[in-house]
Amino acid sequence: MSGTKTFDEKDLAEIEKLTKKYPEKQAAVLPVLWYAQDKFGHVDPSVQKLVAETMDLPEAHVYGVVTFYTQFYEKPMGKHVLDVCTCLSCQVCGGYDILNYLEDKLGIMAGETTPDGEFSIQSVECLGACGYAPMLQVTNDKYVNYLTYEKIDKLIDDLKSGKQPGFESNKMPQHENGTE
Amino acid sequence: MPEIFIDHKRYEFEQPGKVLQFMLDNGMDLPFFCYHPSLSIPANCRQCIVKAGMPVFDRDRGTFKLDEKGERIIRFFPKLMTACSLDLADGMVVYTHHTDELVKQAQADNLEFILINHPLDCPICDQAGECPLQILTYKYGPEGSRFEHKKVHKPKAIQLGPRVILDAERCINCTRCVRFTDEISKTHQLTIISRGDKNYPMTANDQVFDDPYSLNTVDICPVGALTSADFRFKARVWEMNQTPGIDISNGKGCSTWVWTRDNLVMRITPRFNEAVNDHWMPDSGRLSYRTFNENRISKPWLRPDNKEQVRTTWNNAELTLREELDKVESSQILVIGSPHASVEDNYTFKKYFESLGVTDFYYLPHVVPGAGDDLLLSDDQAPNTLGVRALGYSEIAGDKLPKIVTSAKPKLVFILDDDILDRSDLTSSHLEDAFTVYWGTNHNGTSLAANLVIPITTAVEHAASYINVDGRIQRTVPAKETLYTNRRLNLEMSMGRLDHYGTKFDNWVTDANRIDCIPAWEFITRLNPGSDTFAWESSRQILAEIGGKLNIFRGVTYEQMDEENGIQLNLEQDSEVNTV
Repeated sequence: MSGTKTFDEKDLAEIEKLTKKYPEKQAAVLPVLWYAQDKFGHVDPSVQKLVAETMDLPEAHVYGVVTFYTQFYEKPMGKHVLDVCTCLSCQVCGGYDILNYLEDKLGIMAGETTPDGEFSIQSVECLGACGYAPMLQVTNDKYVNYLTYEKIDKLIDDLKSGKQPGFESNKMPQHENGTE
Repeated sequence: MPEIFIDHKRYEFEQPGKVLQFMLDNGMDLPFFCYHPSLSIPANCRQCIVKAGMPVFDRDRGTFKLDEKGERIIRFFPKLMTACSLDLADGMVVYTHHTDELVKQAQADNLEFILINHPLDCPICDQAGECPLQILTYKYGPEGSRFEHKKVHKPKAIQLGPRVILDAERCINCTRCVRFTDEISKTHQLTIISRGDKNYPMTANDQVFDDPYSLNTVDICPVGALTSADFRFKARVWEMNQTPGIDISNGKGCSTWVWTRDNLVMRITPRFNEAVNDHWMPDSGRLSYRTFNENRISKPWLRPDNKEQVRTTWNNAELTLREELDKVESSQILVIGSPHASVEDNYTFKKYFESLGVTDFYYLPHVVPGAGDDLLLSDDQAPNTLGVRALGYSEIAGDKLPKIVTSAKPKLVFILDDDILDRSDLTSSHLEDAFTVYWGTNHNGTSLAANLVIPITTAVEHAASYINVDGRIQRTVPAKETLYTNRRLNLEMSMGRLDHYGTKFDNWVTDANRIDCIPAWEFITRLNPGSDTFAWESSRQILAEIGGKLNIFRGVTYEQMDEENGIQLNLEQDSEVNTV
């Protein structure tokens, strides 16, 4: 064990501030979990317990919230977490092909982390970018859209060399036609 | 009075409420899974959808707008509404699946969705036979499945806690169990985890579902997702007889259903009683069913010449008892009643010894401080403490009992069904000089120390009343045959399918489960043949006799107890009791 996880006074003040924003403390579970994930890098059972105790909420409730969102990591993850969307639109446009390619390339299955701790892959539900399918999200941040195997290769190389993908502005067909 | 039209029929309602509950109260049927009258309404199963609308009101004229036929114009809600969460409103029009094709189709489709990932394992599922999903599918569901793909697989047979086992695949995520732990038992131990087609109820990471009321979630689970670790695979619902009873493992006296098969109690579940336990009961009460089956005293036992106890005959027990009674004066008899025995047993017990000239009657309360909670557990572990007190027995603390025995030096001690050696400072050495007669249901330390043991019936073998900690008198109904009772003759006993259609020679029937015991009052009538004072034929008669003597019990009848699920007694009159 790497010692018990705790919130220091600065954290508690921040959590208090977050909680006060909402009429019910249940509503503050999400922002507090984000805060905890930023601090610890994940929200594993011990962190969930800490959050529940800090907020005086049932641990089961916090656990339920954490498991609902793939954005919350229930265990320590790699440096780069690749959330490949395999929900309806992406699935139809080859989301699973992308996922399988990525799995083969990195030699791990979805839900696993590479031994060097660099990459984790997750198969996730809809990220709200159906228009750019198939797509993936890098570590709860940038979206990489219209995925192809070449794009995956480039992404992995970039990430390995420390380069984060940039923001992609994609036009929808109606924008291109100028009709809107 | 406000009115509502359901399927073209007019109903009046007085209290505000929900449409579904109103329909259920009025005997109409509407399929539903997640709704429970004692829990909050999430409306997440979507099965009770109906078409509902309100009449269009003409504000200028102050009347309802009418169409050319002279009927009210109804403006329907744009989508189908869940009846469970729809408030009753004056003039509301509701169409259910009986009259509306759209509703019928929508409900069937919804059911098909619910069934998509539900395993087809009814033949090995414990819930089969009492499963709302099975019943509603049989009634309304599709005959086959159009779903040709692999079903979603989830964890099976997870031990959630010591008493509850989860089969996540069967779960339809109605959240009744989660709401129960949130709203009723307030342990907040359960939640729905994950999302989409993968979700199921679970405890937090390393928590154990050890809620003292955890088995209620098994009752309210509308599918076989939560099953009782104890009852799992023991019996099919249709093999069992269901008899109303009360929980005698606790002072609260929850109303129960006693489920028996071949004269073994298989399980105990709560029976709705608004005044006592609502729909719930504690786990401890359910697991107390074992005391009705195991370690029972069958046939009288006698200890000749202070040696080993041996089984004896009823005649021999009777003769021995008479002999011992002839040897002693009434002042040498010590009588200890029991908060664990019924009102009738305690009354006849006392009446008999009064007739022999005994004046002092004691009982040992069975209170465990701190054992109770605010819900359905009381500190009092005995079902009839107030009853035995009302009958005029004097309470005696466990540490005072040895003093009474040593000072009075009784030659003959009578103990009614209560393990007093276990709960008091009294030891068997205190009773060495006396001839001890134990009238009891189960073998225990006290029965083993006795010279004569008379087997008597338990709460599931006789009709008898008990007064709970709140002064409510409730009664039991025989559920289990003794050697001397018979389902076919005793009209009060329930007859299951096996009893109706089986024969004595079927291989699932055995006489071994019928205990050789009689009610305490019956043994007293046997001790007094030909006597008018002790000539009872039923416990009904005894209660009537008590009612004539004690104010508290005046007018109390089994019929009224049955109709009203027990009667609240006015225990203010307690002071008058001891004059009898």
